[in-house]
Amino acid sequence: MILNYSLIFQIAGIGVLAAIISTVLKKAGQDDFATWTILAAFIVVLVQVILKVGELFDKVKDVFLFH
Amino acid sequence: MKWIGAVFILFATSWFGFYFAKQLTDRTKQIRAWKLTLQSLEAEIMYSQLPLQDACRRIADQMNGRLREFLLHFSDVLANGAESTKLAWMECLEHYKKNVSLKQKDLEILMQFGETLGMHDKHSQQKQIVLALRHLEREEQEALENHQKYDRMAKTLGVLTGLLLIILLI
Repeated sequence: MILNYSLIFQIAGIGVLAAIISTVLKKAGQDDFATWTILAAFIVVLVQVILKVGELFDKVKDVFLFH
Repeated sequence: MKWIGAVFILFATSWFGFYFAKQLTDRTKQIRAWKLTLQSLEAEIMYSQLPLQDACRRIADQMNGRLREFLLHFSDVLANGAESTKLAWMECLEHYKKNVSLKQKDLEILMQFGETLGMHDKHSQQKQIVLALRHLEREEQEALENHQKYDRMAKTLGVLTGLLLIILLI
């Protein structure tokens, strides 16, 4: 089985960049925008993870022939 | 192919960030140049008492960039027999504002100043210039604050948003 690590790295990258962006915004006094950035990044990551989990459930269905 | 696209995205967003930062810097610089112009104009009116078009031409020699163009244009319009100083000023300002970083409210100050130009004797005119200078000073203060606050932020955000987009799309 080939494990695909790229998603993990992508999520890590998004996390790091969102953290830096929010720090920069906070330094400039735009605290509300900083919060929004974090929230947006969180939602994006959440969607990606949910899609992957959905794939997992589909696979489980296939394995046990729940059609 | 993917990497070329990534470079393009990074380049575009960085350029946008730097453009925004430059806009902030330029606004301060241009307001400063305008203050200098008005001060020179005050001196010309009070002491050398040249006609307005000659005074503008003389001040234009000390300036550069768009402001110089504006002053030369203004003095040309006046020399060619404009309907009124106010209209000439408005027309030139309309021309001038196309490619500058000044905000609408900065231009508003200049427009209001233009309405008084050539309507009064030299002492009232001096008062009007001092008033316009006060307003410009306030705007300069604000522009400077914005510059210090957002300059670094705009640059960093430009680059970082590019990186974020690349990671999202890859």
